[in-house]
Amino acid sequence: MSLKERLKEFDASRKRPPEITAILRRGIEDVRASGAAGLRIGERAPDFTLPNQRGEMTTLSERLARGPVVLSFYRGVW
Amino acid sequence: MAISPERPDNTLTMAEKHAIPIDILSDATSEVLKNYRLWFAVPGEVKTLYLEKFGLNLEKHNGAGRWELPVPATYVLDRGGFVRAGEADPDYTVRMEPAEIVAAIRGIVGGP
Repeated sequence: MSLKERLKEFDASRKRPPEITAILRRGIEDVRASGAAGLRIGERAPDFTLPNQRGEMTTLSERLARGPVVLSFYRGVW
Repeated sequence: MAISPERPDNTLTMAEKHAIPIDILSDATSEVLKNYRLWFAVPGEVKTLYLEKFGLNLEKHNGAGRWELPVPATYVLDRGGFVRAGEADPDYTVRMEPAEIVAAIRGIVGGP
């Protein structure tokens, strides 16, 4: 089973009250309408320097010098 | 590399922080989220829902006044920093298929 199928199954298993699902769905559509669509394929990723989990400043271009990079943007751990 | 708007994680021990083989980055000003066009302010009724029904106060995780999040996104970058594959969906229950990520990396470095 693909990850997408598994996530769909998990989401369906949560059985939220319909009024809560409606709020969450509207929120998703609000964000979609805001145009926050991310980078396009073929576009160059903006460079950045951010602290990692050990407080070390980490620069994308320095990592790219070693090889390809997978970037994952996530909302947080909560 | 993984990026979130959260303040650096204080729940891990030093050993755990060293054991994690990827960089977990903290974008405490949301500058990078904005540069990647992934940033959004949490809509008002969703904020109320999080606070009143889910007991979730994003300010505790992100910092004062920061009711803001990224659209979850994955990008595979080649050595030049160009996006070779990727996905970003405001529906935060959707993620890029791991098999597609692996295939994109193979497409860059060669190999089966």
